[in-house]
Amino acid sequence: MQKTRTALTPGLIAIVGFLTVCPVVMLILGSFSEGLGTFGTFTLDKYVQAYTDPAFAEILVSTVIFTLGSALVATGLALFLAYLNTRTNIPFKFMFGVISLIPMMVPHILFAVSWVLLLNPSNGMINLFLRQVFGWEGAALNIYTLKGMILVEGLLDLPIAYLVIAPAMAAFDVSLEESSRVSGASNGRTLFRVTLPVLRPAILAAMTLVIVRSLASFAVPSVIGMPGQIYVLATHIYRIIATGYATDYGMAAAVGMSALAASITLIVLYRRLTREGEKYVTVSSRGYRPSVIDLKGARYPLFGIVALISFVLIVLPVIVLFYTSLVPYVMTPSAKAFAMMSWRHWLAVLKDPVSLLALKNSLYLGIGGATLGMILSFFVAYVIVKVRTKASGFLESLSFLSFSFPGIVVGIGFMWFFVQTPLYSTIWALLIGYIATYLPYGLRPLTSAFVQIHGNLEESSRVCGGGPLYTMRRIVLPLLVPGIASGWILMATMFVRELSLSVVLSRPGTEVLAVQILRFAEDGLWGRLSALGIIMIFISTALVVLANAIAKKFSKRY
Amino acid sequence: MEIRVRNVSKNYYSDGKTIEALADVDLVIPSNRIFTLLGPSGCGKTTLLRCIVGLESPDTGEIAIGDEVVFSAERGIFVPPEKRALGMVFQTYAIWPHMNVFDNVAYPLQARNDSKDEIVRKVAKALHFVQLDGFEKRPATKLSGGQQQRVALARALVAEPKVILFDEPLSNLDAKLREETRKELRRFLTELKITAVYVTHDQIEALALSDTIAVMRNGRIVEMGTPREIYFDSDRQFVADFIGHANFIPGKVAAVGEAGTRIDSAIGPIACGRKIGAAPGTAVTVCIRPEFIRVLKESRRDGENVFRGKVESLVFVGDAYEGEIRVGETLLIFRIEPTTAVREGEEIALHFDPLHCSILMN
Repeated sequence: MQKTRTALTPGLIAIVGFLTVCPVVMLILGSFSEGLGTFGTFTLDKYVQAYTDPAFAEILVSTVIFTLGSALVATGLALFLAYLNTRTNIPFKFMFGVISLIPMMVPHILFAVSWVLLLNPSNGMINLFLRQVFGWEGAALNIYTLKGMILVEGLLDLPIAYLVIAPAMAAFDVSLEESSRVSGASNGRTLFRVTLPVLRPAILAAMTLVIVRSLASFAVPSVIGMPGQIYVLATHIYRIIATGYATDYGMAAAVGMSALAASITLIVLYRRLTREGEKYVTVSSRGYRPSVIDLKGARYPLFGIVALISFVLIVLPVIVLFYTSLVPYVMTPSAKAFAMMSWRHWLAVLKDPVSLLALKNSLYLGIGGATLGMILSFFVAYVIVKVRTKASGFLESLSFLSFSFPGIVVGIGFMWFFVQTPLYSTIWALLIGYIATYLPYGLRPLTSAFVQIHGNLEESSRVCGGGPLYTMRRIVLPLLVPGIASGWILMATMFVRELSLSVVLSRPGTEVLAVQILRFAEDGLWGRLSALGIIMIFISTALVVLANAIAKKFSKRY
Repeated sequence: MEIRVRNVSKNYYSDGKTIEALADVDLVIPSNRIFTLLGPSGCGKTTLLRCIVGLESPDTGEIAIGDEVVFSAERGIFVPPEKRALGMVFQTYAIWPHMNVFDNVAYPLQARNDSKDEIVRKVAKALHFVQLDGFEKRPATKLSGGQQQRVALARALVAEPKVILFDEPLSNLDAKLREETRKELRRFLTELKITAVYVTHDQIEALALSDTIAVMRNGRIVEMGTPREIYFDSDRQFVADFIGHANFIPGKVAAVGEAGTRIDSAIGPIACGRKIGAAPGTAVTVCIRPEFIRVLKESRRDGENVFRGKVESLVFVGDAYEGEIRVGETLLIFRIEPTTAVREGEEIALHFDPLHCSILMN
């Protein structure tokens, strides 16, 4: 057993090292090269070109405003929701669990599209409605602005901020507040002098994480920002490689370097903040329950706000898309609209060879990719949790590294690699890129599942006469099933909706769903987009249900 | 089955430091008895147990269970745990949460491919033995701590091993349940005629349960004997101190006579009802356990082993008074009947039987 273990760790370090370090190294090499395919001589031209571009300063400013704004929106809403959930007697608390699950349900690009359908200046449904009812001229509300981008991205990143803040809020020691009150401070003073400062590390950590996410975000900047001529780093990189006649992967790499550097710096900051946050955790006694604040008359109005947020996050996009997929062109709901409803967009999509190919590719990548990803995650998690040597610690940092990489930048790095190999323009290029970028998603549930298997459970099986393989089959694997299932679901849903890496790596023949949706959006084919989008949501949901059913079957005696 | 451990050593390395977990342990664990390894945490008792069961392999030495050598460093023998046919109860019980009680207990039989009928019969028998009849279908996660402990015992017994090992099996139970389970375990093991090796840091558990106790410290066995021998006759301060509470009074041997030994100590001359081989003048320590100190309130008599002192502190702990008496410069702890009328600050006389003083060589 010792021998296989020692061979396993370096092998995994090689695989994971390739997956995470390769795109970065290729990105660096590429940024100093002349052109894709042939590296040519070492040159600084691309950096000079990229960073002396007069438009670049404006892009940086937009990026900063966009990321900071989204962080403020997401964190502010998350604080509000977390406070209501953990500290008050608001009704229907299960709603909060649903809100933290949304990232699994509606893909970001579809969420962004649904807001475009509602609020775009020319034929956004809300704008049309305002025009018809109040006779307002022009566009009352315009989504194609920085404000619009911030609002939508903030809503999309709300669940992440919530997942960081809610546990910190739940662990908050109420006696800190009570002693402030006893010392004569008012409610408001207590909030600003005690509650928020103690929660500061969690709040800053949530903001940092949202900044990283929005920096890497491609869906909102491309669907909402680009039509309004608002470019951020991600869409700027996309513009360099995907539009115009002269695509320049060297310059894209040079720009990508600053996005990558910013992300890594922010993730380091995030890690430091979460460590500091742990120091602040004050409660440890068992059976402790934070006292609940009675909202009295405000209970239902406040719940109304929560319900509205949930509605806007989950139900509204699906309704808007489904409605749009049925009407011939964008119009406000009316008797006429219902009379004109038909399946024509659905039929068009189902007859469209590219859409069908994208559907097939995404399904293949979702199921096959997640399965391969989980096999890799299984061994990596085993080494990280159970082997515990210096090398396994290194493997752990290596495998969580890619969490901080913006997808489009990783895509550029991989592009520089894949053009040198026969993998270029094949579905395998996408598969490798996906697994490299989303490995942490599969790894995290598996490592926590491994941690929960106390060493005694395996040892006891050995003493009871079960050999190593027998022990693996009857004890370790069944106990891991929940972790494997949730890792698989996460990876598969991420893969089915993947956009930011795919816009770089997807070529004719390897189209995927999200890229096809982006194409429809660029062409203004909203009806077909909505039909395909609903199919995409359906697939994601089906994957979740399927994996849950399998997990239940395997651990039915649990 | 007898277990022989010969010259077993094991070192751990962490952060460049070497930790000696077992230092040249030589031990014969007698057949069909309850044998306890007792010692403070980090003394190597659990490592020794894990070496016997095969979850660790020693650096040197040899371990034989019955006639079979299961480990030998020289001959390169290592029999994996699943081939040693032992039973073990873990500190955490290690009940598999994804199985019900039946599957947990049946596991050793399923692993060796017994027939279905055989398994059902033997599991029922094992569950009956630990008084869990009818619990077969209960999910393992729905058991109380005491029930889990019994399931773990049933699982360890079901394949009828010749040796069963216990790694602090009672430490996760609350005080009252621990006492009951200890008595029950003693009854089970006596009934079974099985070699039991029991690891604990709890001296009361060790005294109440064992036929033989081996006291360990720093990877070595410092003393071995019956509970009474360990409690009353230990000639090492570490053992006397670790097992129960004790007063240690420094002194010198004054005279060795027919009836015992007279010692000049810090509190005056002490008569000990024990003979030792030490010549007069040798420095020794007298050990008196607090429960053997009597308080003589009324009588003012003088005599052998009667000392006068002042009650410095007195704490009522329910079934007794525990306190300290100052005799000269020496503070002695004592434990007396809760009904005794003694008050703090009172001058009293105390007495102890020469037979209850032991002499520890320095």
